[in-house]
Amino acid sequence: MTTFIDYLLGGFSSGAVIALFALALVLVWRSTRIVNFAQVGQAMFTTFIALAVQVATGSWILALLAGLAAGAILGLIVYALVLRPVQRLDTSGSIIATFGVLISLQALASMIWGGDPKSFAPPVANDGLEIAGRIWPISWYDILVYVVTAVLVVALTLLFTRTSLGLSMRASAFNPEVAKLSGIRVNRMLAFGWALAGVVGAVAGVLIAPTASLSPNSFDILLIFAFTAAVVGGLDSLIGAVAFGVGTGLVLALVTGYGEAGDAPIVVLILLAITLVVRPGGAFGRGKSRAV
Amino acid sequence: MMPSWLRNSRLLVHAPLFIAIWLLLSRLNVIVEPLMSYYIALAAMYATAMFGMVILVGLSGQVSLGNGALMAVGGYVFAVTSLNWQTVPILGMQWNAVWSVIFAGLGGVIAGLIIGMLAARLRGPYLAGLTLGIAVGLPSIAARFPGILGGSQGLMLTVPYPEGGYAVDSAAAADAAVASDAAALDQALSGASAAPSDSASSSSDMLTPSDVTGSTAPGDMLTPSDVTGSTAPGDMLTPSDVTGSTAPGDMLTVDDVTGAGSTASADPVPVPSASAISATPSGTVTDAGFVLEQWQASVSIAVACIAGFVALNLVRGRQGRVWKAVRDDPIAAALAGISPAASKVSAFVVSSLFAALAGAVFAQILTYVGPGAYGVALSLSLLVGVVLGGRGSLVGAVIGAVLLVGLPAAVSNLAGERGWSDQVTNNLPTFVYGLLLVVVVLIAPGGVMGLLSSAWRRLATRR
Repeated sequence: MTTFIDYLLGGFSSGAVIALFALALVLVWRSTRIVNFAQVGQAMFTTFIALAVQVATGSWILALLAGLAAGAILGLIVYALVLRPVQRLDTSGSIIATFGVLISLQALASMIWGGDPKSFAPPVANDGLEIAGRIWPISWYDILVYVVTAVLVVALTLLFTRTSLGLSMRASAFNPEVAKLSGIRVNRMLAFGWALAGVVGAVAGVLIAPTASLSPNSFDILLIFAFTAAVVGGLDSLIGAVAFGVGTGLVLALVTGYGEAGDAPIVVLILLAITLVVRPGGAFGRGKSRAV
Repeated sequence: MMPSWLRNSRLLVHAPLFIAIWLLLSRLNVIVEPLMSYYIALAAMYATAMFGMVILVGLSGQVSLGNGALMAVGGYVFAVTSLNWQTVPILGMQWNAVWSVIFAGLGGVIAGLIIGMLAARLRGPYLAGLTLGIAVGLPSIAARFPGILGGSQGLMLTVPYPEGGYAVDSAAAADAAVASDAAALDQALSGASAAPSDSASSSSDMLTPSDVTGSTAPGDMLTPSDVTGSTAPGDMLTPSDVTGSTAPGDMLTVDDVTGAGSTASADPVPVPSASAISATPSGTVTDAGFVLEQWQASVSIAVACIAGFVALNLVRGRQGRVWKAVRDDPIAAALAGISPAASKVSAFVVSSLFAALAGAVFAQILTYVGPGAYGVALSLSLLVGVVLGGRGSLVGAVIGAVLLVGLPAAVSNLAGERGWSDQVTNNLPTFVYGLLLVVVVLIAPGGVMGLLSSAWRRLATRR
């Protein structure tokens, strides 16, 4: 029983980061109805930038801020250069374009920083805490990850439900034509959505980097996990993305704990396949009926 | 007179066309250098897989990011059956490589049926995500069965060879390699001098495949098995090492493998004396007439021509129109009596069949199957090739295949002249692919073929 609890506790930390990546995917989907396959690539790139800042200044906070700024800028660049023109094209076009962004970012990162995994020093100790005479699989760093994730989720929820900016963003995504007529600068709102997603992705990247090593491809598998979480959560729901992101982390921890680490991707893949078969529009997506 | 079904069919046009292409490529294959044959083999292999992508992505409108995984199905079935089966099950005949290819195709059809039935229910991004998951998850599946599938290290193969064996023209192969890597020649020479006693084996000018694995000179450009061959026994370089050393760009293309092979063999490692170094003095081509690369290319060309013939008939026939109808308007197609689901599944099955055939060919080009060789990078390459060539065009697939092989070669040539570091050289092609994907989608969604046809139309209207 204690091992079970240990596994679960260990899963929360990676689950929180998966939840953040899933959140970023949901933010982009909400604003432009596109799944941004480049999201983890953007996060990887901004994390490398954050690492460079940390190496130069020695400050984790500065590194995080640099990562955030880079995330917002990169999100805007990708939106302005690639996605805004692509929007008038078909779905296949947007998938292929975001994929192109992903592989060119990865190749660029490999050219600049090399393919060897780099380590990213955590700001607080990442060793298991000793409480009540035993060592728990939770560190101060894990607690930091929970806190940052929770703050972000609450802030985003407040943004979308309590502010006029959030309302305008929802309106732009829901019905661009009507939103335009109501005086909302729809393009600006969509761009803001992409920038916001870039920031959330950047936070996720900086948070995961100390526990996993950082290399141009180290986030690839996270894309699958986050995509699974976002799809199971319905792609439209912030809460769904967070809940199933954490859930995916827990499943991964249990599979890795009781089985073999290599089985985790297969289990997640089966989870994704089952969800898609049962509910092709995502498990908790709005049940919009569609002919054929 | 000929029967009406034959008169109305395009077989009379298509069959001679593909026989002509096959003859032309086969002739080209024997007159060019082995390195060129190797490139031809790769391009024909890519083209085979991309004919399937054209049908799936272009005609049926389903973006798959996982066809590399379907190639892996073909490759692994090819490898496992040819390594483990001596006779054909049920039929009881002697096993040979053709059976392996047939079974690889069969495996592809089954995999395509399963994934296709999943996929037919899904729309764009969901399908892309699922297929990407399959491509990413593949290494874990291989690693799950280290016994039969070789785990993450993969499986070594010997190339199935024609009657009478094939000859290894090591001098010509070394010459070809020199063009790209001068250091390799030094190594080849020192390797040859390190084991002078083995030159006895050169007296027989017909080499058996078992000789070939050992005898490929370090300068020769092939496969992971070459890498193991040219390394000291005590410090065996496993395929996982190969993948490890190419890590900089996850994109493990064949060129990465060969690149790693040549860098590895450029290391001053003692050549195992047990291996027979082929010290054939000059570029003598032996009676069998085939260099290893030429044999591999001839197999690849034959498969590509058959696949192209089948694909062209499907695309230009009724089934092609059904696929397009469902892609453009599933509801209207259903009203016209077409089953959209069956159409989507059939596109997946056909594309999976071609992918598996290509995967089997790829296995015999690499003489190796492993998760690294069939990674996400391969799936991406296929998508890149199809988009560059033109999403709905079989000719575009061929153009895309040539670009896929030519671009990394051109970049590494350029890098050699400019003295770029490996870090840049290995990743530049991938970077260019990524940019090209974006640019093509934005500016010329029809790819090269789209540009050509619109240029042609402009010319035609001006007249």
